[in-house]
Amino acid sequence: MVQERRILYEHLDVPDINTFDVFRQYDGYTRFEKAIAEYQPDDVAKMVMDSGLKGRGGAGFSTGLKWSFVPKDIKPCYLCCNADESEPGTFSNRYVLEKNPHLLIEGILICCYAMGIETTYVYIRGEFTLGKKMLDAAIKEAYEKGYLGKDIRGTGLNVDIYSHPGAGAYICGEETGLIESLEGKRGQPRNKPPFPAVEGVFGKPTVVQNVETLCNLPFIIGNGVEWYTQMGPTYADTRANPPTPDPNTGTKLYCISGDVNEPGVYELDLGLTCSELIEVAGGLRGEEVKAVIPGGSSAPILTHYELDTRLDFTSLTLAKSMLGSGGIIVMNETRNIVDCLLNIMKFYAHESCGQCTPCRWGTPWVRDIVQRIADGNGRKDTMTRPKFGVAENGRWGDTGETEEIYEDLDLLESVANNIANVDTMTWNTICVFGIAVSWPAVSYMRKFRPEFEATIQEGKLVTLPVAEATVSPEENYAYQQRFVPKEFADL
Amino acid sequence: MAFVKLNDLEIEVEDGTNVVEAAREHGIEVPHYCYHSGLSRPANCRMCLVEPHVFFPPAGAIVPDRQLATGCTTVLRTAPPDRKLDGKYDFIVRTDSQRVQKARADILEFLLVHHPLDCPVCDQAGECDLQDYSHRHGYDKSRYLEVKNVPPKKDLGPDVLLYATRCVVCTRCIRFADEVSGTGELGLVHRGSHDEIDIPRSHEGVPLQLLDNKLAGNVVDICPVGALISKDFLFKSRPWFLEKANSVCSGCSVGCNITVEYKADGLYRIKPRFHEDINQHWMCDDGRLGYHYVNSDDRLQLPLKRVDDELTPTHWADALSVITERLSEIETEDIVVIGSAQGTNEDNYVLQQFAHDVLKTTQLGLFGQLLGEEHKFPQFTIEADKNPNTAGARTILGSANGNVVLEGDALWEKVSGAKVVYLVSGGSERPLEDAEKAALESVDFLIVQDILPSEVTQLADVVLPGTTFAEKDGTFTNSTGWVQRIRKAIDPPGEARVDWEITQQLAKQLGGEMNYHFAGEIALAIAENVPGYSDTSHQKIGDTGIKLAGSDQ
Repeated sequence: MVQERRILYEHLDVPDINTFDVFRQYDGYTRFEKAIAEYQPDDVAKMVMDSGLKGRGGAGFSTGLKWSFVPKDIKPCYLCCNADESEPGTFSNRYVLEKNPHLLIEGILICCYAMGIETTYVYIRGEFTLGKKMLDAAIKEAYEKGYLGKDIRGTGLNVDIYSHPGAGAYICGEETGLIESLEGKRGQPRNKPPFPAVEGVFGKPTVVQNVETLCNLPFIIGNGVEWYTQMGPTYADTRANPPTPDPNTGTKLYCISGDVNEPGVYELDLGLTCSELIEVAGGLRGEEVKAVIPGGSSAPILTHYELDTRLDFTSLTLAKSMLGSGGIIVMNETRNIVDCLLNIMKFYAHESCGQCTPCRWGTPWVRDIVQRIADGNGRKDTMTRPKFGVAENGRWGDTGETEEIYEDLDLLESVANNIANVDTMTWNTICVFGIAVSWPAVSYMRKFRPEFEATIQEGKLVTLPVAEATVSPEENYAYQQRFVPKEFADL
Repeated sequence: MAFVKLNDLEIEVEDGTNVVEAAREHGIEVPHYCYHSGLSRPANCRMCLVEPHVFFPPAGAIVPDRQLATGCTTVLRTAPPDRKLDGKYDFIVRTDSQRVQKARADILEFLLVHHPLDCPVCDQAGECDLQDYSHRHGYDKSRYLEVKNVPPKKDLGPDVLLYATRCVVCTRCIRFADEVSGTGELGLVHRGSHDEIDIPRSHEGVPLQLLDNKLAGNVVDICPVGALISKDFLFKSRPWFLEKANSVCSGCSVGCNITVEYKADGLYRIKPRFHEDINQHWMCDDGRLGYHYVNSDDRLQLPLKRVDDELTPTHWADALSVITERLSEIETEDIVVIGSAQGTNEDNYVLQQFAHDVLKTTQLGLFGQLLGEEHKFPQFTIEADKNPNTAGARTILGSANGNVVLEGDALWEKVSGAKVVYLVSGGSERPLEDAEKAALESVDFLIVQDILPSEVTQLADVVLPGTTFAEKDGTFTNSTGWVQRIRKAIDPPGEARVDWEITQQLAKQLGGEMNYHFAGEIALAIAENVPGYSDTSHQKIGDTGIKLAGSDQ
């Protein structure tokens, strides 16, 4: 049985850990003091690079690498803490903010020290009123105790933290959308490049980090890089020649919800499999696993065939999904995938910022198609066509059979792929919201196509038994391959 | 200069040019909505997607980039020597690959999801980017079955209507109001597919601020679809019925380049024409909407002469003979000839020649619209001098030996008590100030050449019907020394004649030796005789104008 390894959440349940004095008893701010006393800023940045820490916000981009892109000669430089945790199925940052805000402040201080930053903005999701209250209180206390403000602890370091509430838009969790919103504009993502590391808040270089990423920093400094890299697997990135190490180090706050007996946030080493995780969360509620969403609602779904997938950044990318924010939603055999997709599409259609054409008008269109199917009005052609599938040679090809034409499923796939193509991983939109829409739409439809077909056929929502509802990975892979242009096939 | 492979062309472009512009220079269309060369580039319409090529080390070859890029934000620059593609190219980009064509068609499909099919009643039809691009790049049918969004039609300001259903949310108008006019009246309300352009409103929907600035009309021009519509032009004509003449605005001394759009029965609208140094893409609403006097029913169509204290219509021969009779019996010193800052250089040159060579007077004056207000915007200025040709008229009238050009008080002092005054006016109606009125009243015999009945013509003894800027060829010199052509669009009403022809006719009748046949001929005489204007033949001026040597402003 896998055990939780609590690091970020170790003292979460200590009474009054949100106060400075209690936090101090549990090594609070000692890691920051250690960083100042023992390391130069560049050493801290190097430690973060060596630790292999990947951003926990969703993209899984190496934090050390991101810091290295920030130009050293342009000041001021800002730190933007992304606490706009709005991905459905994700609720780990919220606990940190509500219960242990000083840990975040310590992480911010370390980052500021490493990058020579004097001003930090914490962009908190508007709905986190308690979190903001606790953080504000902690910030006030830290100012009083001399851990924030001018000349911190006599070291000449100046750090100010401002907390800023969002106004309830999902897209403001996207880093440039967040920056626009922070600047007082409409929350609409910017075109990249320039990336925020070069041109961010108020046109200055900006480090944008998730709460969880920043909370990892004290432990990397406090316990050392070696201790940190022991946790989680390190793969070899074979795309590089020679292969470079691709670390998935540290722990991750997995938010497990859905059909498990004990849903909640679990802090576990990266690299555990899906089934192990379900076990940690008290086991499955129900008979069998139908599907697992591995990284928030925008991540492509995993079927019961894929429960051995390791839940880390690299493995999930290879499985054509993503770890994202670590919001894991487990579904048992009673769940209807069409209904799930409809729910998710309603969310994305509502949250599209409307800036760029494909997303503005494609997202509601996708929702409408799914709605139509779920309502039992999905269209099916009376004609048939040759069935393409896994041919005798194991490759995609004409199987010699015929198949029925489900117009609305073809339409759904086509419209979703026109927003962002999930097979070539290219998008025509400004930000990755486009792919966050088409990923679930296409993956749900492809992996659970029998359920969609049955729903159209019957004219009402039909929940099939798991085995019948799911398309095998081999067939699904072959299906994907037929769309990939030759020059990208091996990327 | 960057050496770029654009499709199969090898081209050299200035560093910093974007793909859309580079392609346009070489006759390749990259469709776009949100991009406008006078505004910032949000790259939100995603229509200008192009396919950059990159070197892909594992394959050891140049391949299409994974992602398509927006042409408007893809800037072409000289690459460092070790980054050249194929050893020589700074950039390789295709605008015609299959992937690009599919992306364009897909974007168009999205744009048309909520767009109504009301082209038959839409003013923009015929000059609509959505229509044109759909025709060239789009699919031929829609796969959208659901109900379309129907946002309400809105009245944004004095001249602008918003048909929100047609809007493609390119935000050009918002950026115009933010960046060029600096007035910021426009913004987006709601979110996602419910995005709407709007002005600030209270919760009850009452407008708090209207799109009411002097540049507001430009948003109609830059709207790529029929969403923003000019009330002035609403339902007046289909654009393809309109003929066009490149001209220059006569509203003030800026000299905005314009296109006059007209039919046989008059002017229909005026649109700005791009000139890098003068007006860029813009013009003000005073100029845009100020053309109505040209179409006015009140226009002077026949010469008038005073009979029993009443202005009575007469014919040209009679009017001219009354004048020549009077002029021939008057001493030279008692005649004042007043040119017009509304007239062309050619008009004024002939007038000056008439005064100098025929009447032998050196006493000239300059008359024009009263000084107005100056309006400054972040990227545009409307000047206070409401005449298009003050600078040109002043130079031309004073070009002959010994000529003195009087203006303002000095002129009216000279006019009071003069025996004969030949005053050329023109332009929209101009009120007279008391001193001017008194001076003109005291004139023994006042000849006025004008286009509309006005306070000036009321005082005249003979009125000669002249022409507006839309009815004649010629040149204007703006306040910064640009000499630019205006072109004849419509015929003058009734028996009105081109101003210089009237003057020439008078000269001929008084024995002068003037025999110009068309305005270009006068321009050649100007080029020969007026210092600084040596290059200003109509051919050389062309559509872009010529900046006079020595004008440093």
